[in-house]
Amino acid sequence: MIAVELRKLVLSRRTWVTILLIDALPTLVGILLAVTDLGPRPGTGPAFLSAVLTDGTLFPLAALAIVLPLFLPIAVAVTAGDAIAGEAQQGTLRYLLIRPVGRTRLLVAKLVSVMVFVVLTVLVVAATAYVVGVLLLGSEDATTGATSVSGSSLSTQELAGRTMLALAYAMLCMLGVAAIALFLSTVVTTPLAAALGTMGVLVTSTVLLTLDAADVLQPYLPTRYWLSFVDLFRDPILWRDVERGVLLQGVYVVVFLGAAWANFATKDITD
Amino acid sequence: MTRTGRWAAVALGVLLVVGVPVAIRAIPPSDPDVGAGELLAAVAGSEDHPWSGYVETEGALDLPVEDNFSDVGSLFGESTRMRAWWRGDDDWRVDRLLVAGETDLVHHSGLTIEWSYEGDRARLSRDPDIRLPRTADLVPPVLAERLLRDVDAGDVVRIDARRVAGVDAPGLRLEPTAPQASVDHVDLWADPETGVPLRIEVYAAGEPSPSFTTEFRDFSAATPATAATDFPAAPGIQVDHDDVLDIADAANQYAPLRPPDRVGGLAKSSTSDGAVGVYGVGLTQLIAIPMRDREADPLREQLGQTPGVRHLASGTAVSAGPLGVLLTGEDGDGGWLLAGTVTEDTLVEAAGDLARGTTYLQDDS
Repeated sequence: MIAVELRKLVLSRRTWVTILLIDALPTLVGILLAVTDLGPRPGTGPAFLSAVLTDGTLFPLAALAIVLPLFLPIAVAVTAGDAIAGEAQQGTLRYLLIRPVGRTRLLVAKLVSVMVFVVLTVLVVAATAYVVGVLLLGSEDATTGATSVSGSSLSTQELAGRTMLALAYAMLCMLGVAAIALFLSTVVTTPLAAALGTMGVLVTSTVLLTLDAADVLQPYLPTRYWLSFVDLFRDPILWRDVERGVLLQGVYVVVFLGAAWANFATKDITD
Repeated sequence: MTRTGRWAAVALGVLLVVGVPVAIRAIPPSDPDVGAGELLAAVAGSEDHPWSGYVETEGALDLPVEDNFSDVGSLFGESTRMRAWWRGDDDWRVDRLLVAGETDLVHHSGLTIEWSYEGDRARLSRDPDIRLPRTADLVPPVLAERLLRDVDAGDVVRIDARRVAGVDAPGLRLEPTAPQASVDHVDLWADPETGVPLRIEVYAAGEPSPSFTTEFRDFSAATPATAATDFPAAPGIQVDHDDVLDIADAANQYAPLRPPDRVGGLAKSSTSDGAVGVYGVGLTQLIAIPMRDREADPLREQLGQTPGVRHLASGTAVSAGPLGVLLTGEDGDGGWLLAGTVTEDTLVEAAGDLARGTTYLQDDS
């Protein structure tokens, strides 16, 4: 079942067009920076973007900061929202369930497929950004390494290791989005409604994060710790918010996947 | 499993995930049997105790935003996240954490390096006696040291304990007795083992919520490693030397005048031996900075746009919580900037004392 879903994902033209579109923005930003040599003013713009003019190897992180707040969650919400509701809308869900496949297994296969999409997207964005960064913006002196957020030196190995951790953290954040969208996909009958519902949750979270009056809710909002991957580049690493981010996303995944399973396992399928 | 059973399992999971942390937090903190005087002595005795941790401050003071004072405005008017390592008064590091960067203060042997990731610069400066407030002044142990100066056991009472950074911390309330004070009271909670202050709330008169709060969210009383307070600058980072730290330091060094020994009924601090006057002690303090017209005019304009501004005979005044600000003079005149945790009447009286008692130095050049 998982293999079928993965084959569908990889062979789908929509998958690659979506990844291409997500990848296009940071690539365009990289080219513009290289051509104009005009970075954002320090303290403004996405994380690490002001630093990439002197060190292109940081561009994968800047690209992550560019796509993480909006582009990537939209793509994940659309893809995960389509998982069950898309089959229902096309009228293929009941045929799918006629096969001797448990509904829980189908749900797991859909989730794995969405996660592979997230991993593919993040890796393509990071790899493209690395190539664009090194070719167009240049790399740091191999003998001196990159500069951490705290001003100390990071060796190439340290930078690579922390970048991998940051990418894994971003993937986990997107798993939380996927769990919400997958749950909604089992509730509604159109993928658009599931995607919009998920985006509604994320927009609400983002707005509440700017509101002092919502202070008491903020530690529990799904987008609260998304940008905490920056803390991996402080010296020493500040694990506090990263740990909380991992825990929070874990809770969202467990709760919403549980709800999706509870709703879908014996749901009447009419489409 | 039936549909009801599955939803019940999910609901139980949610209950566990949400309910357990809430239930743990709802357990009231234990309150050690320690008197106000004993706790005050423990806090005073902790001044040299090392510590490290993660600190959050929350300021509700709506101060004017002017280039020379923008850091002060954000420190007292916004929330600030910091992590700090304190091996001693002369060996510490305090990082102000920003979403996509940080500004660090690293202090050794009377010298402080300020590293700004977003500005991509490091500045080395000596620590002057007179300067504007900075992040390191607002971590609970440092702020408490300043607030509790000249306080004795008769000035404090015990309040209920509170759980701070996982520690059941006994509390103290301090109410200033000086007639010039604008602070209504200060609540402080300290680590019962070491006496290190963990949380401080500053209240203005008549305000139900604190005007300023600083607290540890993570705390360790262990001595931080030597490397924690180092600044091993990456190759390529140039450390520039600053002769002047900020506008208060500049005025103190170069303004050719000396303020009087006493203003608004408050005596001048012994550390105040230049052109800037620092008056009072503890909760009732006032700073008087002489300003040239090119510095005073834009500040006066900003003060004029601040809600609640009052145009008095002695100058332009605003108040934010317990903090009063008065800028004397008019456009093109320069003036004295007076700011502190004192009443408006005290600021006006101090402005008069400065006008009458300032000594102007002869220009020998």
